[in-house]
Amino acid sequence: MRRARVLPVPDPGADAAAGGEAFALPGVRSAHGLLLLALAAVLAAVLLGVSQGSVDISFTTVVRILAWKALGLGSADWPQAWEEIVWQIRLPRVLLAGLVGATLAFSGAGYQGILRNPLADPYLIGVAAGAGLGATIVLVSGVPYALGSLSLLPPAAFVGAVVAVSISYGLARSGGVAPNVTLILAGVAVSAAATSAMSFLIIANHERAVSVLAWLLGGFNTATWQKVGMVLPYSLVGAAAVLVSARLLNVLQLDEEEAQQLGVPVERVKMVVIVAASLATAAAVSVSGLIGFVGLIVPHGVRLLWGFDYRRLVPMSMAVGAVFLILADLAARSVLSPSEVPVGIVTALCGAPFFLWLLRRHRRAVF
Amino acid sequence: MRRFPPLGTLLILTLALALALAACGEEKEPAASPEPTAAAAAFPVTVTRSDGRELTIQEAPQLIASLSPAATEVLYAVGAGPQIAATDLQSDYPVEAQNTVRLDAFQPNVEAIVGVEADLIILANNQDNVVEALDGLGETVLFLEVPDTIDGVMEQVRLLARTSGHAEEGERLAQEMRDRIEAVADKLADVQEGPRIYHELDNTFFTVAPNSFVGDFYSILKAHNIAEGAPTAYPQLTQEEILDRDPEVIILADADAGESPQTVKARPGWGVISAVKNDRIHVIDPDIVSRPGPRVAEGLEELARLLYPERFP
Repeated sequence: MRRARVLPVPDPGADAAAGGEAFALPGVRSAHGLLLLALAAVLAAVLLGVSQGSVDISFTTVVRILAWKALGLGSADWPQAWEEIVWQIRLPRVLLAGLVGATLAFSGAGYQGILRNPLADPYLIGVAAGAGLGATIVLVSGVPYALGSLSLLPPAAFVGAVVAVSISYGLARSGGVAPNVTLILAGVAVSAAATSAMSFLIIANHERAVSVLAWLLGGFNTATWQKVGMVLPYSLVGAAAVLVSARLLNVLQLDEEEAQQLGVPVERVKMVVIVAASLATAAAVSVSGLIGFVGLIVPHGVRLLWGFDYRRLVPMSMAVGAVFLILADLAARSVLSPSEVPVGIVTALCGAPFFLWLLRRHRRAVF
Repeated sequence: MRRFPPLGTLLILTLALALALAACGEEKEPAASPEPTAAAAAFPVTVTRSDGRELTIQEAPQLIASLSPAATEVLYAVGAGPQIAATDLQSDYPVEAQNTVRLDAFQPNVEAIVGVEADLIILANNQDNVVEALDGLGETVLFLEVPDTIDGVMEQVRLLARTSGHAEEGERLAQEMRDRIEAVADKLADVQEGPRIYHELDNTFFTVAPNSFVGDFYSILKAHNIAEGAPTAYPQLTQEEILDRDPEVIILADADAGESPQTVKARPGWGVISAVKNDRIHVIDPDIVSRPGPRVAEGLEELARLLYPERFP
């Protein structure tokens, strides 16, 4: 079954035209201009996120604190607590949210491209269930999982995610080929098994149920520089791998057989993207819990706005994912201040209506 | 201030312990209860359940199933121990409770509960509509939700004592608890504003607001709870709010999850908090302060020592 679709054209000029048709952004003609604008939007979101919070610190003070801490400029005439709030709590929190948002978004775009399935998201082939099981094992085992430097939770979640994806991929692969449908079905089965194991552990240790639930809902309220450092390498390498594969992902959208005939090493691209996206997602999930929706919807939104070319889709998804999650987290810690709301609730609550509006507005094939 | 229960309670407890031990030698066959003497006259007892329905108990129950750790503690404390045939998995105090038939209050199994053949079933929550299910089977169900205040605890102590046929012991226990609580309050009579406190339930900063049961301890202690103004009874605070509100004492109820004064001190940015600077981070046994049972007086005294070491040496 093959749907008629506009082939992505490998010419940047023609692409910009296609993008312009999808979403007229005044004054932005070139692909580079769009990327610069996206970068500026990310920076603006970071600044906004750092300057807003339940504690009222003025924007200029926040900027002066940042300048003082990062560049040694100016003089410190603010309460010590404000400096800690801005530098040790808000900034790592905002950066982690942005990093996780970007990671989920490019991983989602990568999975959707490789599996050629619009319902694919970074959690589809086992990352979420595996990470959840890993985290649950630590949470119910009674092993101390303190917030300090020796926390076992992120490594356990990471290992769980990697193991689950490896099983899915290993089961689906035979004779050097991992057919998409087999891979998805294997992922669904592995996820179901891991989820049941997790549910069993929760039921059998229900005094820990609240901790597990809190972890599953996800969030950034325990963000630290250390966690940013844990995710960053995986995100960078993963993003680089998916970006490098972008042109091949474009060709792959034709048809796997045709792509093969055109000289695309289909299975190798698939493996590179799956490994890169899975490792990056596993790292993101291990520090933030399971934040839904971002990895699924952001790439689709970007497609609607700026077209199907993966060379633009991947970087724009990263930017939009980062901005989206930074703003969602800002809402999560503001609306019920001084309390928190799980960020996953915000992403679904705000993201879904916006996406539906986009769908209605464009009325064209999303995938 | 009396630190020890009166002699009568001690005797009854000893008797309860002896009978419970004897009972577990007989394959957990619930021991025949000693006939509640004067209490028999107190029946029938009519009480209002947490769902608003009235419950009339015709005579002193011989076999009680307690699916609430707090109720279990109360029943043992008023001398109803010999009547307890079954408890839930969370009922770990006193230890003899663990020698009764064990039931699950979190995933209640109606068949297992009915199988105990208790003539009084005590439930603290209506998980999976288990209350209606047991009502429908004609069981005698006392549904009592966790009270919001420490006064509410004393009410439930009396109520549980009356329904189990130990009204007098219940009055005595409630009075003793009240005496201990008032003794603490008396020592704080001249305190205008106590220390700012943060009570940590877990390491994602869930805490207790003043309108929660645990929060009531701090109200009695005149402490200034930093979660004041939060929209729910058990809110999750942001870290920046905790830093900004600068608690003078931090009480950790999450030691079993690996948190300790050391891990709190190691948290990035927390060095600015007064409690961290002045080394006033303390661990408390969450069962004593979060279980609305007879040990709340003990919990209050413990917290008083942590908050006002100079007044409670």
